[in-house]
Amino acid sequence: MKAIKDFAFQCGAKLSLNPEFILNRTGRYFLVNKNLRGYIQKDFYYAGTYLGKVKNGKFFPSFNLLTILARGNANKIVVDKKAAWLFICGRDIFRRGILTVRGSRKKGGHTLVMNEFGECLGFGKIVCRLDEEAKKTEVAVKNISDVGDFLRREA
Amino acid sequence: MSGKEFFVDRYEQLGWKFEDAEPTQAIRLNITNAKGKNLEERLQTAGIQLEKIPFLKTGYWIRSSKVSVGATAEYLLGFYSIQEAASQIPATLFTALKGKTMLDACAAPGGKTVQLADLMGNTGALVALDVKKRRLVALSNHLERCHVSNAVVYHLDARQASRLKLKFDKILLDVPCSGNFAADRYWFKRRTLADVERNARLQRDILAEAAACLSSDGEIVYSTCSLEPEENEVNMDWAIKHLSLQIEEIDCHGQKGLTEVFGSQLDGSVARCRRIWPAETQGFFVCKLKKLVSKR
Repeated sequence: MKAIKDFAFQCGAKLSLNPEFILNRTGRYFLVNKNLRGYIQKDFYYAGTYLGKVKNGKFFPSFNLLTILARGNANKIVVDKKAAWLFICGRDIFRRGILTVRGSRKKGGHTLVMNEFGECLGFGKIVCRLDEEAKKTEVAVKNISDVGDFLRREA
Repeated sequence: MSGKEFFVDRYEQLGWKFEDAEPTQAIRLNITNAKGKNLEERLQTAGIQLEKIPFLKTGYWIRSSKVSVGATAEYLLGFYSIQEAASQIPATLFTALKGKTMLDACAAPGGKTVQLADLMGNTGALVALDVKKRRLVALSNHLERCHVSNAVVYHLDARQASRLKLKFDKILLDVPCSGNFAADRYWFKRRTLADVERNARLQRDILAEAAACLSSDGEIVYSTCSLEPEENEVNMDWAIKHLSLQIEEIDCHGQKGLTEVFGSQLDGSVARCRRIWPAETQGFFVCKLKKLVSKR
């Protein structure tokens, strides 16, 4: 629970979650609603909305959680078509691929990566200042996790 | 009793002249996620030529593609799933799914589970079971990718579904089956009549368990991708004779179910099932069952 909130904070978002509806199953966290709660027995494998997992003390957010954060006021960058494609192939974002920045521009922070349609493709770490003066050819956001992971998981 | 000649002869006895078939790749839009996304246009811009499948509301054939259909951003964002056309039919046969308690008894890898969640609009509860734990990983990935939020997954054999002590309004039984040659080019080399009979027994066990978990006015949709009547019409005939179920009329793609199988006469209501011989789709069988209401 704390891991989820801490991650949201790193992304510049505030998340209010009712602990009654957060389930932890062997380090994997799920958000369920009141109705679904009644169908969940202790040996469930997956339930409701998967939020992410804690492994070796580190939190790995799910894409569902990133989508939830993207609806709020988390740090976001909107990237162009080419940068979006390269990002879901696991590549970093160059400054020239960024169309707009919302929220923190600070080096070291986390930011969600959105495509031109406003869809969340993953998130990364800001590794250089995101202002206009930055070099266009500089890596600006380092890829931490992207939706291309769905393909890589099954390979 | 095996081999291509043996099975082709059986199909001819059932009234179908064998011809090789290669199913066309198909996708299904996940309406809950794709609403307002102008998906058809986006995919066409990406170089994917779609054609609406006439017998499905949300299904499209892939006529040509310059990219891998399973690697687009739209796919990874859960806007559509790659799902063979005939296998899109079973989930559409349920009536009024929203807010219901649903069981997908043999769920992995989850194509139909995601389709059910979509038809339910992520409301109610969708309990998904699979007996093989390693297949639950693929199921979970599918649920995450498509942003399903109303499912609960258990590592459980469908034959033990009553352990959950739940009653279900709707049950999908897309049961383990022998498959068909259109989906497996080595099918004739691999399969024997003994396999078919073993699968048919397993399917009956699953049917019996599902009937025990069904609420009083509940519905079961039974499907296989087998062409063998022992796994299809013969099992449906057995179900209505042993499980207080009746076969419902359905309006979908396919031919009427067989009522005479290798000289044996089945109940006339088995004709309400649908049998799909392989052509542009793979081979498939589907039937809708409802609990028999006792007359007082």
